[in-house]
Amino acid sequence: MIAVEGVVKRFGAHTVLDGVSLTVAPGEVVTILGSSGSGKSTLIRCINGLETLDGGRITVDGLDVADPRQLAQARRLSATVFQLFNLYPHMTVLRNITLAPELVLKRPKAEVDGQARALLASVGLAGKADSYPGQLSGGQRQRVGICRALAMNPRYLLLDEVTSALDPEMTAEVLAILGKLATRQPGGAGTAMLFVTHEVEFARRISTRIVFLDQGRLIVDLPTDQFFAADGGLAHPRIRQFLSKMAPAAPLAEIPA
Amino acid sequence: MRHAGFTWHDGALLAQGLGVSLGLFAGTFLIGLVLGSAAAVLRHFRVPTLGTLLHTGLELLRNSPVLVQLFLVFFGVPALLHQPLTPVFAAGLTLSANTAAFVYFIAVAGLDAVGRDQVEAARAFGLSRVQLVRHILGPQALAFAVAPLVGLAVNQLQVTSLVSVIGVVDLTKAGDILNLRTLRPFAVWTLVGVLYFAAAKTLTLLGNRWERRLRAHAAPLGL
Ligand SMILES: Nc1ncnc2c1ncn2[C@@H]1O[C@H](COP(=O)(O)OP(=O)(O)OP(=O)(O)O)[C@@H](O)[C@H]1O
Ligand SMILES: [Mg+2]
Repeated sequence: MIAVEGVVKRFGAHTVLDGVSLTVAPGEVVTILGSSGSGKSTLIRCINGLETLDGGRITVDGLDVADPRQLAQARRLSATVFQLFNLYPHMTVLRNITLAPELVLKRPKAEVDGQARALLASVGLAGKADSYPGQLSGGQRQRVGICRALAMNPRYLLLDEVTSALDPEMTAEVLAILGKLATRQPGGAGTAMLFVTHEVEFARRISTRIVFLDQGRLIVDLPTDQFFAADGGLAHPRIRQFLSKMAPAAPLAEIPA
Repeated sequence: MRHAGFTWHDGALLAQGLGVSLGLFAGTFLIGLVLGSAAAVLRHFRVPTLGTLLHTGLELLRNSPVLVQLFLVFFGVPALLHQPLTPVFAAGLTLSANTAAFVYFIAVAGLDAVGRDQVEAARAFGLSRVQLVRHILGPQALAFAVAPLVGLAVNQLQVTSLVSVIGVVDLTKAGDILNLRTLRPFAVWTLVGVLYFAAAKTLTLLGNRWERRLRAHAAPLGL
């Protein structure tokens, strides 16, 4: 379980996260909604140890990310997909995917290569293993980013606006893959996901829970159907305002149940 | 005044001088490369006191003439320590440190040019600092740095000619000896110049080939 307990994060005098608490249990798909600047990316970056905390505590299966040794262990349990892909430009697509499993998880090269090729095939990129990131489209790069994360066999997948740098067609492409991934979770034991997204319709379809961040405070944490219920999340003026401002949902590719 | 002709012995002297110049260059450039890069990595990871100390020292070295550094080491240090240094040792020490200073600033720029986003990705995926340098920072920084490094190498090769003034028998000193014996300065210095040129040109060609290989898949900046 990812447990975020009363986390405070400041940049200078600006308090970006102000006592945020949240849990993600195995098998859950939790979406973080919130307007721009509310601290969503910062929260993800605190969980994967890219930011240090100014207060509170984050544990991943009991490992405290504030402790360097425990953080190293925690990072083997979760994997991140980034908004701007963050691929290694000097490595082939295959190497981008196999690097961390080989170096960090110390898995045998042949096995990791095989898994990476299977993952690439599953997202329609079987022919791109030997290409370099610079030779791919944005949507293709993000699919590689997803394969790179999945090759870690993570218990927790962290995704920060993974489609916001993509045009609608590529967005649909990537969301379809994530949708498949989310619905494949056998409630309880599979990869849990923590999503940051502005695709509200998509979040509604795949999430088990939705939380809402407003100016660094987590004001709502509800099961998906209750979040969209008039007497649930929609009872909050900030959330009503946020949802009314969202653009109509991007065209979604078919998501198999 | 009697003009002595060129003999086979002169050829041997020049060849030996060339060997000393090339050897001194290769040795000191290699040492400078290792030390300068290591210092740049320490600075990149903001190692507290050591990083600042190295930065200051290397800044001093970069901003003073090599000849002055050479005199300081060859004449100054022995006077201070009451321990004479051999010319070759003093030359090796000075040129290594001087090269390290220039490599350091090139390497720092190369490391800074590697995109933060991929470095964060590598950290989030659990790579250690050593793995980060070896697999992410190193190869890309090298691709950025290779052109200035080739330029530096060509320059440092020529700078080795300064060591002739403290008595190292390098190519320049060999030319000097030959000139005094034959009294044909134009012929001698043309020949010495051509030898330096040939060495430098070979270095450039090798460097360019290496650069092309390294840059084959280097980051289109800003990916
Ligand atoms: N490294 C930093 N230094 C200073 N301020 C920062 C830094 N990173 C984020 N911030 C500030 O923290 C606040 C929250 O940023 P964050 O990126 O977490 O927002 P977000 O919810 O992800 O927004 P968006 O939807 O636009 O991605 C913003 O006001 C931002 O300016
Ligand atoms: Mg963000």
